[in-house]
Amino acid sequence: MGIKTLGICMVIAGFGMWGLLGARRQDKRVQQLKNLRMAIGFLEKEIFYMQTPLSLAMSRAGQFCDYTVSGLFKECAGNLEKKSGITGYEAWQSGLEKLKQESELKPIDLELLKSVGPQLGVSDRAEQQKFFTLIHEELKLLEETAYREAEAGRKIWSYGGFILGAAIVILLL
Amino acid sequence: MTGDKELVKRQILPYLSLPVKNIILQLNERFFNSLEEIRLRSGQPLVMKIGDKDYAVNLNGELVKSLENVYVVTSEDIYRTIASISDNSLYAFEEEIRRGFITVPGGHRAGLAGQVVVEGSQVRTIKEFSGICLRIAREVKNCAGSVISNVIPGGSRILNTLIISPPRCGKTTFLRDITRIISSSGQRNVVVVDERSEIAGCYRGIPQLDVGPRTDVLDACPKALGMIMAVRALSPQVIVTDEVGRIEDAEAILECINAGVAVITSVHAGSLRELSRRPVMNKLLEQNIFQLGIVLSRGKGPGTVEELIRWD
Repeated sequence: MGIKTLGICMVIAGFGMWGLLGARRQDKRVQQLKNLRMAIGFLEKEIFYMQTPLSLAMSRAGQFCDYTVSGLFKECAGNLEKKSGITGYEAWQSGLEKLKQESELKPIDLELLKSVGPQLGVSDRAEQQKFFTLIHEELKLLEETAYREAEAGRKIWSYGGFILGAAIVILLL
Repeated sequence: MTGDKELVKRQILPYLSLPVKNIILQLNERFFNSLEEIRLRSGQPLVMKIGDKDYAVNLNGELVKSLENVYVVTSEDIYRTIASISDNSLYAFEEEIRRGFITVPGGHRAGLAGQVVVEGSQVRTIKEFSGICLRIAREVKNCAGSVISNVIPGGSRILNTLIISPPRCGKTTFLRDITRIISSSGQRNVVVVDERSEIAGCYRGIPQLDVGPRTDVLDACPKALGMIMAVRALSPQVIVTDEVGRIEDAEAILECINAGVAVITSVHAGSLRELSRRPVMNKLLEQNIFQLGIVLSRGKGPGTVEELIRWD
């Protein structure tokens, strides 16, 4: 009887934990999108007002944001600093690969970020600013959508895990 | 020769796309000595100016004069070269792009061709790049050594000097060497007003070519404006500038000379006769503004002194 009770508790706790982690992942995605938006805003200012070379601007943007999204900028800066003939687009792509592994971002978020690469550093300040403003706006929209999804999904994920665990226990019994 | 290959390898090749870089690396060392320009035009043969002649590179990596069956530059080559030259930061070179070229470390110049965006009557930028002309800057120290005693007769007074030369006869190299010699010898302050960044080859304001220890450079500064600024702010004994010819240049030269500052400058012309057909320059000559004229040609290679003219 004791072992059976322990098993029931473990199944419910396991699924519950899975649900809680799911809810946390959604919150993290919102936070990461916000951090990315702020870092891109910082990058835009470095480019528009300071005319900082791209590698240095990336490195500074990387220092400015939190660990998960800083990998994108630091990886990109590191590749550009090597001056091995790599273009801004290629450096950004390699940064995105790193971000994909370390973040909770969805494919739709990564697709938007992919569109940044071909424009990096290839035009004058005014054009760069226009582009960054656009990306900033689109990231904000994604962030709002992610926030709504996280709000709606938080309870489902949080309680859903425990409920699913309980349902499985009932079925097994 | 090895020195020239090293120079190209260190200061030019890192900016080129991999295929173009590999082609140039394969070239025989003797060509590097006279390599003057590398021209990349999208969809057109890769052309290198070696001495007086243009060469393309055939599919075996050999230099040929014919433009048939040779390496053709791709838009990818142009894109990668521009990205490297600008450090992936074209926005940081707006002023340079407006002027039509970017100077890279070492003082070498990358002339740009593409779609020019005009705002009012001013060039705003160039985009959709289609061509790059990499011009290799070389210092030829002491190339002006043979005429310096004419520029500073007796070693004290510096004569107002006009270097007369058709394009590509080495007048900028000559002018740079005169600047270096004057700046290195004696206690004279020299100001170079380098409108097209050719004399000192400044990169981010720092001269990349030797213009001497007592030389200040007003880089990318319009000549007439720069000469007046220099007289007011930098107390020069000598002002050096390149390719004068406009009315405002002539007025600024007069201002400087009347302020007791010697002017050494250059002008495009094949001979004195050609020069006198240019109204602005003819007026200056009639007023005996210049005391010494140095006519250059390519007779025995760039920088050949054809004639020395004394007007004083």
